[in-house]
Amino acid sequence: MNRDELHEKLTRVFREVFGQPMLVIHDDMSAADVRNWDSLNHVTMIYAAEKKFGIKFSTREVQNLKNVGELVSLIDQKIP
Amino acid sequence: MLHYGLSELDYLDLNKGSRSLDLSGCRKTLKLALLSDSAPQYLTPLFKTLLAKNGVRAEIYEASYDTMELEILDPGSGLHAFRPDTVVILPSVQALRDRYNHFSGDKTLFAEEQAERFTSLWKKLRAFSGASVIQGDYVLPNEKLFGNYEDKAANSFYHTVVSLNRALRQAARPLNHVFISDIDHVAAYHGRRHWLDEKMWILCKAFCAFEFLPHAVQNIVDTLLSLAGEGVKCIVLDLDNTLWGGIIGDDGLEGIRIGHFEDGEAFQNFQYHLLALKDRGILLAVCSKNDLETALRPFREHPEMVLREKDIAVFVANWSSKAENIRTISRMLNIGCGSMAFIDDNLFERGVVRDAIPEMIVPELPDDPADYVRCLTELNLFETTAISALDTDRAELYRIESRRKLGQVQFEDPKAYLESLEMTMTCGRFDPFHLPRIAQLLQRSNQFNLLTRRYAESQCEAFMKDEQNWFPMYLSLKDKYGDNGLISAVIARFDSEAMNIEEWVMSCRVLARGVEQYAMNTLFEEAAKRGVRKIRARYEPTEKNGMVRDLYERLGFRRTGGSGDGPVDWEIDAADYRPQSHFIRTAHTLPGESV
Repeated sequence: MNRDELHEKLTRVFREVFGQPMLVIHDDMSAADVRNWDSLNHVTMIYAAEKKFGIKFSTREVQNLKNVGELVSLIDQKIP
Repeated sequence: MLHYGLSELDYLDLNKGSRSLDLSGCRKTLKLALLSDSAPQYLTPLFKTLLAKNGVRAEIYEASYDTMELEILDPGSGLHAFRPDTVVILPSVQALRDRYNHFSGDKTLFAEEQAERFTSLWKKLRAFSGASVIQGDYVLPNEKLFGNYEDKAANSFYHTVVSLNRALRQAARPLNHVFISDIDHVAAYHGRRHWLDEKMWILCKAFCAFEFLPHAVQNIVDTLLSLAGEGVKCIVLDLDNTLWGGIIGDDGLEGIRIGHFEDGEAFQNFQYHLLALKDRGILLAVCSKNDLETALRPFREHPEMVLREKDIAVFVANWSSKAENIRTISRMLNIGCGSMAFIDDNLFERGVVRDAIPEMIVPELPDDPADYVRCLTELNLFETTAISALDTDRAELYRIESRRKLGQVQFEDPKAYLESLEMTMTCGRFDPFHLPRIAQLLQRSNQFNLLTRRYAESQCEAFMKDEQNWFPMYLSLKDKYGDNGLISAVIARFDSEAMNIEEWVMSCRVLARGVEQYAMNTLFEEAAKRGVRKIRARYEPTEKNGMVRDLYERLGFRRTGGSGDGPVDWEIDAADYRPQSHFIRTAHTLPGESV
């Protein structure tokens, strides 16, 4: 999966979980920039991403995530 | 009652669905309080969505994380102010593990102490609320210290959870307002190693892996729906390739597969399961495209058949459409299609019935008959919150009833028919023996139900004991075809000037038999005995109880309030009452028997 494809899939996850059909994600984006990205939905987003990409994040990886860019890199490392 | 197949319980879909719920089809509202020591925020949207899918609008009080004691013990708490219909107490095994690790006393006593914690919460809740309690049990932990020896090590955590679950069940058994939700069973079914998600527990105190949150909630919702009077009362069965392998019309009696012949054992196991359901009070009906005599032959003559003709309440075999036949069965049994499930191996027939009768439950059936029982069990269609001794006789009663209906055809004059039934009634004040059946009737009756109050067994018991203010009466009808059992209950309250009918339910099996007339005469006799001059009554409409809209008018009451589609109030002076005519004799009872 190339980075564009990955980006597109992750965009769909964000739009679904945060309930914003037009949301465009970018690497610097963090929780403060997205309506509904609270701690509750954060975990739901993590679950949705794990499901979508067929991967698992570790506890610490989830806790340390700072922005979309880091999430994209992490997924990129993990997908087979 | 709608039910999701297992694959359709998707957390993300349901969570998303909760944001835009369509509540227009909801017939009932339920006030539900959720107390948990995991994060309730992940559960609440699922309760809302799954209840709405089943026609129930849920108002949910979500207690903050780990505040069970505070909510229940503090009279100023949000829980007290909310006045819930049902309180769900859902504890998590991870929270229990924390407590266990911090417990400084003798760990062999920990389980007992925790059981006591919940039983005393149930008791305290009871002191200020009539709410039912649904108590989740604990999912057994995956970690073991002693391997197979674990259960002999009385201080191990695993053994602690086993003992605690057992103690909760034992404590709940005699209490008619507390119901255990067997979450551990659901977790074990899906696999505890997948269910328990330690990462999500650390991250957000989620009750279990997100994937399974809907399964935990659905299990509780099943009990909630049963408490609200929903449930499957009748299974309509196809015959060929459903109850036996092969086609009786083509293969003949010797050719069908049932018993120890090829996959005949699978069909036999399915029949044993159906028979067990019948014995616990679920009615079985047959709807088959066959000639009647051909269809009946296996039931009468095949030595390896488990189900016999007497087990089937209504047997329909002809060549007309199944949807039409199912409606006939529904009418004969007086059970709405929404309370019936249709089991047929044929994809086409399932589709036709589903289209024609959308409220009917029509599960997809697996290709292999060996999986039929598992399929039926997974759907958990037969949830209940009460069983009574009389329950098991119901199939027999309905069978007699459908025979009665066939008999009815020969009489031109309904009076002559009613007279020929030789009906006798036993009625009296509620008593401990009849309470379970009374409570069940109050939960289950939807059509002949004037106020739909759904009083629980414990409340009925309170009415029974308060002779000063309440006259709660049951009625039990026999006729020459058999015993109908306890078929009606009326709950009346006295105030200084009137007898007020607070609830009246009747089984639809005995409609148009004069039971209403008999009951009303008896109420007036009681009113006269107490010197009360008026009887007041009320009708509150629901989706299903239209048949009793005019009941009080027919009994001679006059309308005193209410209009349009809302509740209607009725009244009558004792002096104006004309005893109603009917053909029911009062049973003579021996001294000492219940009157």
